[in-house]
Amino acid sequence: MFAKLKSWLNGTPALPEGWAEKLIRDTPLLAVDLELTSLDIAEAKVTSIGWVEGGDNSINIERCGYHVIRTSGDLAQSPVIHGLTEEALTEGMHIRDVLAELVPFAETHLWLCHNAALDLGILKRVFNDTGIVCPDIVVLDTLKVAVYQLKKHYDVLPSNSANLSVCRQRMGLPAAPAHNALDDAMATMQLWFAQNQALNRAKNIAIGDLMHTQAVSCKKMEKS
Amino acid sequence: MSVVPQQVIDFLKTSAPFDQLNDDEMTALAKQANLIYLTDDNKSSLLKENAGRLFLIQNGQFSVKDSGQSERHLSEGDYFGYHALLDKVDYQLEVTVDKPGLVYCFTANAFEQACSYPAIADFFHGSRTDALQNQAVVDSNSMWLYKPVHEVIDHAPVQASEDVTIQQAAQIMSENKVSSLLITREDKLVGIVTDRDLRNRVVAKGTELSLPVSAIMTEGPAMIHQYRTMFDAMSMMSERNIHHLPVIDRHSRQPMGMITASDVVRHQRGNVLYIIGELAKADNLYELTRLSWQMPHYFASHAKRPGDFDIAGKVLSQATDIMTRKLIHFFQREQGAEPMKYSWVVYGSQAREDQTMGSDQDNGLLMERTPNESEARYFAEMAEYVCNGLAKCGIKLCDGNIMASNPELRLSIEEAQAEAREWVRQPTPMAIMHFNIFLDARCAAGDLDLFRRMQLARGPLLKQKMFLAALARHNNDIGIPLSVFQKFVYEKGYEQKDVIDLKVKAIAIINNLARIYALANGLAMPSTLARLAALPSGSGLSTKDAQNLRDIWLFLNRLRWRHQLTNNVTDNRVSVSELSSIERHQLKAAFKAIDRAQQGAVMNFSGGMS
Repeated sequence: MFAKLKSWLNGTPALPEGWAEKLIRDTPLLAVDLELTSLDIAEAKVTSIGWVEGGDNSINIERCGYHVIRTSGDLAQSPVIHGLTEEALTEGMHIRDVLAELVPFAETHLWLCHNAALDLGILKRVFNDTGIVCPDIVVLDTLKVAVYQLKKHYDVLPSNSANLSVCRQRMGLPAAPAHNALDDAMATMQLWFAQNQALNRAKNIAIGDLMHTQAVSCKKMEKS
Repeated sequence: MSVVPQQVIDFLKTSAPFDQLNDDEMTALAKQANLIYLTDDNKSSLLKENAGRLFLIQNGQFSVKDSGQSERHLSEGDYFGYHALLDKVDYQLEVTVDKPGLVYCFTANAFEQACSYPAIADFFHGSRTDALQNQAVVDSNSMWLYKPVHEVIDHAPVQASEDVTIQQAAQIMSENKVSSLLITREDKLVGIVTDRDLRNRVVAKGTELSLPVSAIMTEGPAMIHQYRTMFDAMSMMSERNIHHLPVIDRHSRQPMGMITASDVVRHQRGNVLYIIGELAKADNLYELTRLSWQMPHYFASHAKRPGDFDIAGKVLSQATDIMTRKLIHFFQREQGAEPMKYSWVVYGSQAREDQTMGSDQDNGLLMERTPNESEARYFAEMAEYVCNGLAKCGIKLCDGNIMASNPELRLSIEEAQAEAREWVRQPTPMAIMHFNIFLDARCAAGDLDLFRRMQLARGPLLKQKMFLAALARHNNDIGIPLSVFQKFVYEKGYEQKDVIDLKVKAIAIINNLARIYALANGLAMPSTLARLAALPSGSGLSTKDAQNLRDIWLFLNRLRWRHQLTNNVTDNRVSVSELSSIERHQLKAAFKAIDRAQQGAVMNFSGGMS
């Protein structure tokens, strides 16, 4: 009840029925990353989507997904950063088909993003643009976990201290290639494993127990 | 759509032995893996879920017991769980997480598929015993003659079809200025015509010039395919007493070129054995120094393969011996013959015949008896001349003054024995550091019998138990450069952060071990490999361990020679980033085996007291 009240005060919908009590170790995970043409939620085009399925500190490498999205128009600096050429983008999959693959994960998996506001904000827009109906998504934001941890040590966060590679480095994880949607999703999942270890020495942590970090939230995918 | 993240492939590509797989095989392997984040809290459930898999550590530190053997401390790049897979035995897997980290878990099926590659199977079988998976001895052969012939032939062969006339054949030969002509049928080699054939079979017999050349050719001549070595070519030519040897393509049997006697001579000019021959011909100090200074260049351009490095030290030591004998000869030509019998004794790396580019000279003089004043002056002058001469030839003067020019190192045979008694009486660590080098000795010039007499006399002294115990303990004080978690420990204070001095931290330890066992068994030869090979059964070191040490020695020696020649340096500080993934594994295995051999020697010689 307290968690519900608190999340309402924070302006986000409460977790769907039953989620707060779910143990993290028993919850299937899906790390998702989007590569975009800009950081503007209203404008940005998705050029690729990568995801990685996992569970209790484990990633099944066979169950990774990655699609280049058919995109036209101005790609801005995106091809330079993500290594996707214009040719690859025009031959990519239609975003509608990729979204359809993602929808089934919404009810079953705890999603992981590094900066969920951006990735899920864009997803919400494209779900609405394409008219695909997607249930609410429970997401854990590794960026917010990092900020929560950093704030124990700093009043003002050092610049860049919460970006994905810096966070991984701080947790003692090996360097990983950045700016590819699949590799970033993989990197995010690994980061969460390390963060989880640092946060909870006790094992039986429920999703609701993480509310105080403000890293867990439920994102509505329908237009409100 | 199932894809594999690039970071997975990137990591596997740096992980021997899987780095040998091609991209498709690598992807297939990766898809049969879980990546887990292994912590003390989750290990019981995760290891249970992944039971029967092969584990590869990407980061973190773990203490693992995965077979009947003792616990191993492992970190990035290390494997565990393969004992159970290889033995098909369900060993208890016990893991202590010292630092959590990412671990790949490959299915038994993936492991089996990968093991269809002999190199991968060998890697894991070898890992069980820390045996070195190298071809050390198999591919070790004398260096220069093992060049494949296709590297030597430099132009297309001059050839003609079998139906051209004798006259046309002769015209082709004179146009191309060659002394032999390859004859083909449908492009395949069927015969050869040489100047000598034209003389003996045409001119001398008055054969009609319009006949086809096939009438006078030598049919089915000796030939060699392009991948055979120069050594094969040379032995074939001398066995058959021929001066022309056609080179053909192994599959199509088309002529590719010709090796001639003059090629062999020319090739030998690019051969360090050739320069040794030249050194022997030098008639004055100037010629000797000029030739000596070419040696590094010859090594750099001709020692390319591991087998080359194995005998490079031997060749360099032989060359130094020749220089020494030449210099003594030049001195005596001016100053007259020696007033009494003497031996020019060399120590350390020259004695062991494992010199490298950075080795300085270590030598001394042994005299038949105590010299009078003029005899002493003669030997002092000779030593001065030879040591300076060697320095001019590029063999550095010894910083520690271990040179015959130092009066303390010109000893009569009695003094040499008294010195050995002193070593044995008080083998303190300081003393051992000082005299260790003299325990590897060889007579490079002068009277060999005199040297043998000295060795015979001091042999029993150096066999004494207390003395060997002190040597074994001293050797045990040098630690191998591996941390508790099997990570490399690097030298401090150098620009490159990841260097290990292979001489000090590994090769010297093996040399010490071979010396201790050799002394204990009364073996007189100084070379480490010869000592290891000659140890009798019951020597305290098993044949298998001796062979393993030999392989390790050869492996380390190759690494340092390659380091010196590729970087054009004379030190032994090899950077780990210069090594391939498999070499890093081999290096770790080598260090561990050396560590065990050190412990073994302490057990054998000092009753376990270290």
